[in-house]
Amino acid sequence: MLTAVKNQIRVCVFSVKYNIMREMLNKVTFLTNILFMMLNNGAFIIQWLILFRLKEEIGGYSIHQVMLLWGLSASSYGLSHILFARVFSLPEMIVNGKLDCYLVLPKNVLLSVMTSATSTSAIGDFLYGFLVICIFCFRIDRLLLFSLFTITGALIITSFSLLMGSLSFWFVRAEKFSMHMTNVMVSFATYPDGIFKGGTRFLLYLVIPVGLAIYHPVHIMTSFDVGMFFTVIGYTGLLTAAAITVFYLGLRRYSSGNLMESGRM
Amino acid sequence: MVYTQKCVYGIAVLFYISIQLKEEGGITLKVIEADNLSKTFRIKQKEKGMAGSIKSVFRPQTKEIHAVDQVSFSVEEGEMLAFIGPNGAGKSTTIKMLTGILYPDGGRAQILGIDPVKKRKQLCYQIGTVFGQKEQLWAHLTPYDNFRFFGAIYDIPDSETERRIQEFSDIFELGAFINTPVRSLSLGQRIRCEIVASLLHKPRVLFLDEPTIGLDPVVKDHIRSLIKQMNRELHTTIFLTSHDVGDIEKLCKRIMIVNAGQIVLDESMEHLKYHYLNKKIIEMKLSNHTPLPDLPGLTVLKEKNGQVRLEVDTAVMKINDALRFIDAEQAEDITISNVPLENIIMEIYRSENRVQVP
Repeated sequence: MLTAVKNQIRVCVFSVKYNIMREMLNKVTFLTNILFMMLNNGAFIIQWLILFRLKEEIGGYSIHQVMLLWGLSASSYGLSHILFARVFSLPEMIVNGKLDCYLVLPKNVLLSVMTSATSTSAIGDFLYGFLVICIFCFRIDRLLLFSLFTITGALIITSFSLLMGSLSFWFVRAEKFSMHMTNVMVSFATYPDGIFKGGTRFLLYLVIPVGLAIYHPVHIMTSFDVGMFFTVIGYTGLLTAAAITVFYLGLRRYSSGNLMESGRM
Repeated sequence: MVYTQKCVYGIAVLFYISIQLKEEGGITLKVIEADNLSKTFRIKQKEKGMAGSIKSVFRPQTKEIHAVDQVSFSVEEGEMLAFIGPNGAGKSTTIKMLTGILYPDGGRAQILGIDPVKKRKQLCYQIGTVFGQKEQLWAHLTPYDNFRFFGAIYDIPDSETERRIQEFSDIFELGAFINTPVRSLSLGQRIRCEIVASLLHKPRVLFLDEPTIGLDPVVKDHIRSLIKQMNRELHTTIFLTSHDVGDIEKLCKRIMIVNAGQIVLDESMEHLKYHYLNKKIIEMKLSNHTPLPDLPGLTVLKEKNGQVRLEVDTAVMKINDALRFIDAEQAEDITISNVPLENIIMEIYRSENRVQVP
């Protein structure tokens, strides 16, 4: 069992390494993609700095909390897209029958699929998140918590996307719905939750899991709460388990395809 | 204690006997067994035009396609089987069920005693797959890096992976391009690498789905020789689907034809040729125009400028009689040949009912 897990991790590491090697084939494109993503994210800091000159608090958040929010959103999104980028194109793979080449390998199908691609610009997002924390609100304990919540956030984003993407096993045109749901989650993750009321707040905490991926961790990093901490950890585990279960249930309905193109892309 | 010793001794004797019998050809191990294997796809149907599109939103209609319909067969160890049929016959669906890609709706399959549905991962260690239409290799990596990756996937130790890469590189002559990215390789080179990647873990069964598609005749011939060599040296069972009659004729000793999801023919190649080659083709060049007789069993296929092509049904007329009737002595040149295997297969595809080989 332990050897199997070790071998699986070895293959995943190989996969991520080869993905990054592929992206690095063109060094200029690789570096500019990372740098420009960091600059792109940085532009939003200016917007928030201007807003905080006009008002001390926005939605109950101070400038430092907004920076924490932005940093955590960027690094969670980044980590998710560095390691598991293929999850975000899962519906297309299901619809066009591109899972075949992963199903004939003696390894975990889901992990093999998820780790089969990476996004260069996501490296920029990931680095940007940590840079923001180090510049605006550095503290050792906060950095440790930030690193942990980057992992839980990435898992929640990935699991939610996997859950939505797996709908394509049942519904033919579910890829658009899945894409919109994932985008909505990422968009809301960059605004303080205090500005949302009523139905929207309900949506953000119970339907789209941005509340537990980003908002709760920001509150914990501002003032530590054990209950909230374990809620985030527990929710991450539950959502991940649910997403994996739904994927494997759907896989039984997979109908392959005969498109004449590369399985690996 | 004595009882345990007796049991162990008994098992050892039985094991020895079974090995001896197998070596003498007394036992043949069935590596693939399909029992009433079925797969049905539900395809959405839509009426013509915009009205049809709107209607399909509110009242979607589906049609059931029986891609594979209660197919049963078995393949023995070391066999080279051609599994062929026209497009949409159910070949790929069957292969995908045997390899664990698709879940069957009915029946069951066992490959080396392993159920692909229940133990997919365990099965993958024992089988190899090559889909000529789909790449399994990473295009940006070199074949060497790809093989290292596949070595890790199949849990092969690094030193052993290196040894096998060297071994297969020699057999498949990859030396000249093993360090060139896959995307820069020719199709023939890529297919050779795909086959090596699928052989690296030394599978006992190899599924080849159109391995020579799009290749030139020289490369095709090379690939076929390599597959033959692999079957001979490693005793790998080959399950081949191809539309190329050359692949079937040169590689396989057994042929299975599927049509509309059912097996319509399962014969040895020798048997097939013997029973279907009752027709001969006579091609002649005549020095002067001689009217050809209209006789039962003799069909004129083509006649132009003294060039004549005839088909003789030897079940109705002996070939000697045919030559006498057409006055072969007047011919400047004459060739007698069998009906091409391609024509036989086409005839079987076209037949509406199940073909019963006499």
